[in-house]
Amino acid sequence: MDKSRAIEILEKALRLADADAVEASIDGGTECCTRFADNVITQNSSKTDITLRVKCAYGKQHASAVTNLTSDESIKSVVERAQSAARVSPPDPEYMPPLDATEMEKYLKVNSYSDRTASSSPDARAEAVKKAAGPVQSAGYRLSGAFICGSQFSAFVNSSGLRAFHRFTDAETHTTVLGDNGSGWAQSSSNNIDEISVEETSARAFAIARDAQSPADIDPGKYTVILSSAAVQEMIYYMICDAKATDEGRTFLRGQSGKQICNEIITLRSDPGDLRCPGMPFQQDGLASPKLSWIDKGVLRNLSTSRFWASKTGRMPTGYPSNIIMDGTDATVDEMVSSTEHGILVVRFWYIRYVNPMKSLLTGMTRDGLFLIRDGKIAGPVKQLRFNESVQDVLGRVEMLGKSERIGWTLIPALKVRDFNFSSATKF
Amino acid sequence: MEGNIFLWRQYRMKELCRYAVDIAKTQGAVYADARTVEIRNQIIATEDERVSRIDDTESIGIGVRVIAEGAWGFAATSRLDKGAIEQVVSQAIAIAKAGSLAKAPDGINFADEPAHEDVFKTPIEKDPFSVSLEDKIELLLATNKEVLSVKGVSKCMSHMLFRRQRRFLANSDGSLIESDVFSSAANCQATAVDDTTAKTRYIEATPRNAGYEHIEQTPFLAEARRVGSEAVAQLSAKACPVGRKDLILHPSHLALTMHESIGHATELDRALGMEESLAGSSFATPDLLSTLKYGSPIMNIICDNTLPGGLATMGYDDDCVKGQRWYLIRDGILVDYQTNRETCNAIGAPRSHGSCRADSWSSIPITRQSNFGLAPGPEQLTPDELIADTKDGIYIEGMGSFSIDQKRQNFQFGGDCFWEIKNGKRTCMLKDVTYQAITTDFWGSLDAICDERYWVPIGVMNCGKGDPMQIAQMSHASAPARFRQINVGGAG
Repeated sequence: MDKSRAIEILEKALRLADADAVEASIDGGTECCTRFADNVITQNSSKTDITLRVKCAYGKQHASAVTNLTSDESIKSVVERAQSAARVSPPDPEYMPPLDATEMEKYLKVNSYSDRTASSSPDARAEAVKKAAGPVQSAGYRLSGAFICGSQFSAFVNSSGLRAFHRFTDAETHTTVLGDNGSGWAQSSSNNIDEISVEETSARAFAIARDAQSPADIDPGKYTVILSSAAVQEMIYYMICDAKATDEGRTFLRGQSGKQICNEIITLRSDPGDLRCPGMPFQQDGLASPKLSWIDKGVLRNLSTSRFWASKTGRMPTGYPSNIIMDGTDATVDEMVSSTEHGILVVRFWYIRYVNPMKSLLTGMTRDGLFLIRDGKIAGPVKQLRFNESVQDVLGRVEMLGKSERIGWTLIPALKVRDFNFSSATKF
Repeated sequence: MEGNIFLWRQYRMKELCRYAVDIAKTQGAVYADARTVEIRNQIIATEDERVSRIDDTESIGIGVRVIAEGAWGFAATSRLDKGAIEQVVSQAIAIAKAGSLAKAPDGINFADEPAHEDVFKTPIEKDPFSVSLEDKIELLLATNKEVLSVKGVSKCMSHMLFRRQRRFLANSDGSLIESDVFSSAANCQATAVDDTTAKTRYIEATPRNAGYEHIEQTPFLAEARRVGSEAVAQLSAKACPVGRKDLILHPSHLALTMHESIGHATELDRALGMEESLAGSSFATPDLLSTLKYGSPIMNIICDNTLPGGLATMGYDDDCVKGQRWYLIRDGILVDYQTNRETCNAIGAPRSHGSCRADSWSSIPITRQSNFGLAPGPEQLTPDELIADTKDGIYIEGMGSFSIDQKRQNFQFGGDCFWEIKNGKRTCMLKDVTYQAITTDFWGSLDAICDERYWVPIGVMNCGKGDPMQIAQMSHASAPARFRQINVGGAG
């Protein structure tokens, strides 16, 4: 759907509504996915859909309704459903009126659309998978993964004159190469399909898989670890907490705003305009996605803050992170391994969950390659381990940062961390 | 007016499914199915004394799946007219033909299934969408008020979720299935905060395929103060001991442990390596079928997609296979899997068990967990008697932290509320309890299960699997059960 059609539908919703205030948005697009396992394509799909959301308010009474249909009848129906629910909803003291049109001046320019990505074909995806699977299969290994690409758009209007539209494309592949007794994994993501090679990504996973065969037993305990970018990314989300929950004492960051909360070499920020991992220029309520630091040189600078909580506390409204960037260095993972006398190299984590959110205590498993480091060299593969660690404490024990790498909508470096707590082992 | 639109839409959806299958066959599909689905959700959320969210969502569209030239193709659109259907069928065929470049040597071995023409509808007493918003809001806010009246409770959040999924499903075998499934759920969470920490406790109308009567039958108001008090009590509760303890797990807790350590491990697509790259695989591989000692001899796991109120009870799955009941684990031995028509041949089964579902018209159907449960103990045994028979243990209710490796062996779970058991008595509350085990060791330590009077299905609404991720719903039932000498407190 192009900009003019999206805005036309949203304007229609505005005209049909009699509420005091109205916000309407459409998000949608096409997503194509080719999945493969055991060296062959197993699922192959394409879907096109939109989500039309209308939020209506009478005074501070508000409600929303959603449809994926755009006929006149459906637009009328979704407006009526939102309005009838809003009329019976009690006034919400935290309701915020729509932003005015000046908010648009704050939108950062984000160019994240590629025509070639939007027009990619299932034939090209199949060819890429076949090419990648060839050398893996010849060596007696099995390739699994997915090659996903899509084009999406987001449009927003409100009754205060704000109009916004953004379109973007995404391309991603993640690959697992499995041997008889161990596996390796690698991923690539970009907004431009020309920057994604399933073959190259698969080759990286294959190299890890070859090295990961026949892992040895290892005792759980505290080790210096080199966490790959993908492993760090799995943990780092937990460092961004909601401001209201934090101020009410319900997150581990309570009372820590403006204080040193981790090693001063850690800076965690968002910048939707960074073309290395571009974000959305605006959020669901039309709020501009800001460029800001969450943690600056180890000091907690910002919490995820809604417009209501910002108005109450005098903070800047941030909404949710549009992307996450952790600044790195030029150090390679090889250099980080060379600097380690005794430790473990982690390819990725899996199934991370809070154990105690008030201590930022997380648990999770390593996956698809775990390697013992001895005297600055990879000594061999070891069996997967479970960790129990405070993510805040981990960031306090970082000794070295690697080069930042794009993982999904984040740009994250590998980290070298001392005394990382592995609590138990598994069987493979 | 809405009724007329509804009837027209229903007629149209059925016709479009048939049309899609017919033209797919003419374009070279050896198998085709078309599925129109209309999903409506209503979500009402509250925080303390305010309504924070009212959302009424609908999503309607058609997904077409074909096998052509030995490969799958799937395409979906929200446009419901003949032109769009022709386009989406051609797209599915083109995707399948493209995929045949890297297809399995033997193509797709899709198991036979007789043609079914049937209608399934969740039996409900009260349509949740016809109950006024005012009534729902009143119940949520009244519950919050009761919870907040407990000294020490500083936050209360509650919500209701209602879902209706109307589906037409036609395939090239001649099946034509119509289903109308209702799900209802509600949850209220109390939070207590002190100078050092915060603790939560919840009460819920466990997600269930049912109408609003399910919400009315849940004693939110009567239980609100207890829930608030238990949140406060956790602030000063004794820390989790470290070492080996007997665990008595309530169905509200055991559901998630079963889901993770049994449910995912026995999805045959995972066991065959088809989900290796994302959700992972399984230690319970087909070569171990009928020999793997999964648990103790009293462990019997039975799948049942006909279970009244079960979240996976929908008449037929998206392969047009009728809901069934079967043993996964009998007397502690792995005897079967959760299968679909593509995978069941791999274990020599002539027919799928009907575990293939998509979360939307726009998603490709994949193997999903069925409703399943731990069979109750054959002898009369109450929870009180089980506690009285336990010298040194921990009693756990509700879901909390959960994590398991990708082969479903090493796991660590928390819970929502915990009590110490000493010499046959619940003595005091504990906090921050975690336990950790290897799946077969854990189930091997099962030594007692309460009887069927205490057997309760618990709903899971947020099971993630697939790529792109799909969210499925299913139920897991059990009676309180005891596991001997499990490692607790290792999380630090």
